[in-house]
Amino acid sequence: MFSTELLVQTLIAGVMIGVLYALMALGITFIYSIVKMINWAMGEFYMIGSFAQYLLVVFLLGPDFWWVAVPIAALSVFLIGALLEPILIKPMFRQALERKDEYATVVTIALLLLLRNLATGIAGPNQFTPGSNLGVVMLGPLPVTGARFAAFLCTLAALTLFYILLKKTWWGLALRAAAQSRIGAQTSGVDILRLDQIAFGVGVGLAGLAGALLAPEFQVYPTNGVVTTVKGFEIIVIGGLGSIPGALIAGVMLGVVESLGAAFIASPYQNVYGFLLVLVVLLIKPTGLFGERVRQA
Amino acid sequence: MKPFTRALGSIAMLALAGLTGSAQAADDTVKIGLEIPLSPPGDPAAGQLIRRGAELAVEYVNTVMKGVAGGKKIELVVQDSQGKTDVGVAAYRKLATEDKVIGVTGFFHSSVNIAVNEVAKEIGVPTIATQTSAADITAKRYEPAFRTHAIDPIRVETFLEFTKKMGYKRISLVAETTDYGIGIAEEMEKQNKEAKAGLELQKITFDHAATDLTAQLLQVKAFKPDLVINIGVGAPVDLIIDQATTVGLLPTTPMLVSYDAPERPQFWKLHEKNGVGIYFIAYYSPKQKLSDIGEWMAKAYKEKYGENAIYSSLNGFGDVMILAQAADMAKSTDPKAIIKALESGTFKTWAAAPVTFPDAPGVYYHNWSPPILILHYTKPNEDWQTAEIIVEHVGVKH
Repeated sequence: MFSTELLVQTLIAGVMIGVLYALMALGITFIYSIVKMINWAMGEFYMIGSFAQYLLVVFLLGPDFWWVAVPIAALSVFLIGALLEPILIKPMFRQALERKDEYATVVTIALLLLLRNLATGIAGPNQFTPGSNLGVVMLGPLPVTGARFAAFLCTLAALTLFYILLKKTWWGLALRAAAQSRIGAQTSGVDILRLDQIAFGVGVGLAGLAGALLAPEFQVYPTNGVVTTVKGFEIIVIGGLGSIPGALIAGVMLGVVESLGAAFIASPYQNVYGFLLVLVVLLIKPTGLFGERVRQA
Repeated sequence: MKPFTRALGSIAMLALAGLTGSAQAADDTVKIGLEIPLSPPGDPAAGQLIRRGAELAVEYVNTVMKGVAGGKKIELVVQDSQGKTDVGVAAYRKLATEDKVIGVTGFFHSSVNIAVNEVAKEIGVPTIATQTSAADITAKRYEPAFRTHAIDPIRVETFLEFTKKMGYKRISLVAETTDYGIGIAEEMEKQNKEAKAGLELQKITFDHAATDLTAQLLQVKAFKPDLVINIGVGAPVDLIIDQATTVGLLPTTPMLVSYDAPERPQFWKLHEKNGVGIYFIAYYSPKQKLSDIGEWMAKAYKEKYGENAIYSSLNGFGDVMILAQAADMAKSTDPKAIIKALESGTFKTWAAAPVTFPDAPGVYYHNWSPPILILHYTKPNEDWQTAEIIVEHVGVKH
């Protein structure tokens, strides 16, 4: 069933969801850039962010103050990440470990299981939503919930702010230096282990921000981070590991491809179209659209 | 111990603590396997509800009945199927061969139940389907396969009775790509043809793991249906309701949810603004009389969890009770003896009507079905127990 209206609606829907996916990918790619590890528990930090948003809105602030709850939720997740990093991640660099990648994989998967099971035990079987008083917004011919539109705008604002902080502040400079060369940054007087702690906190904080913003849209439950994590990994492969503009563009590409495929080819394969896009990009540019080949001596 | 090992060890221990079930049982206990979804892509909420009922059955057998088969206590061995066929089959193998359970119940996802039954027919430990409705679960006539749940053909008969009563002609089936979703959508197409119901059907399918169904629902809206049948399980049910509201389908186009998810306590918390008008399938109404053990369960559940038991928990309770009674009847834990007892016995469950598993033709083989109702929410925060009954379908054929 094809119509121009349906095409435009589907395109807009794809761009919207793609930008939201990008926020999740940003956290993964940021942690990788600095700490040089993949955090498999990102979805669980997304989940914590969504629960924090739910608790703040329902029990403390009310739905009208969702915008106050969002930064508090993201900050809470940042603090949890910053507290966990010295315990779980720092040993990777303090000890002369031969298999850092394996260590990071095992530790973050164990953390994933721990956080997910704790949440299941505490929250029980039910799903929750913080609710939203924002009305439906018309984007051209497409009706969008106020919550999703607000999440879209907040994501764009967060991405812009994050980009400015990275480019204009000393901490941003230090983080970019560490992303280029950990040893180089260290020899320039940067406390690299401290920087790891901040980067890990910021990365999971971004996941928490995504969870808080999307809580009214995708519901709150102990395993709600699974799909967003998968999308996040797809995006960093498409956009290139470590690239912030790459995460945004790849997110939009993924959202549009999935939406168009589901609407006009075959709806059951919605998730398959994203993986096809990953394969095509890998065939054309194995480092991802904005990724760079690592040069090592 | 190095920090590396210490960190890994402590986290792994904590993580595993949440995954493993109860401690190893003594030899004089009768073990019953409970295979439920506790993590995605399964429906963890359903798994937890079934588990609550099953655990109360253990309490009932061990305290009120004082055990089975000469005073032996029963013990539940829980496995997470994750709603995945490979995980479900591995879980069944472990329960049957390592834990030596007398039977496995709790199944919620049809795909898992169908896959497990293929192995069960070789290993021989009986399965009882708690809330899986795909025809193949019993239609294949495997000796160890039993079911106490509504099956696809009866569910679809109920849908057709409903569409006829309401005068709906254009129907959108929004179905997840699982045995449950596809099975119901195909059965609907089949019965529509066979019964010459004259319905114009639109079949839209989606991946169970999808979180954004806007593209699919825009297609549904373009079709201009009289009724949308929501054939998702777990989180997709709620996503369809919310996203259908956003694209403007609800509340103008009525929606029928294909199972009893709206009975769950969180329904009104999730759908405070768009839950009114939803039609949904139910398998139990408080107007039904419960058995004595059903009354005990409903009271114990309310005391323990502070809310009324719903069908998932009631049937989880009933199925463990049936296996316990079969062990008592067989005076044995041998799976063959248990199957024989299940085939020949009459069992108490939560419902007043006793359960039997007849050697009936086709899908009705080894099947006991509760009546199917279609309920309607007409006001906000309405209790499902007082919801209007639109259809009461009792067309169980043997």
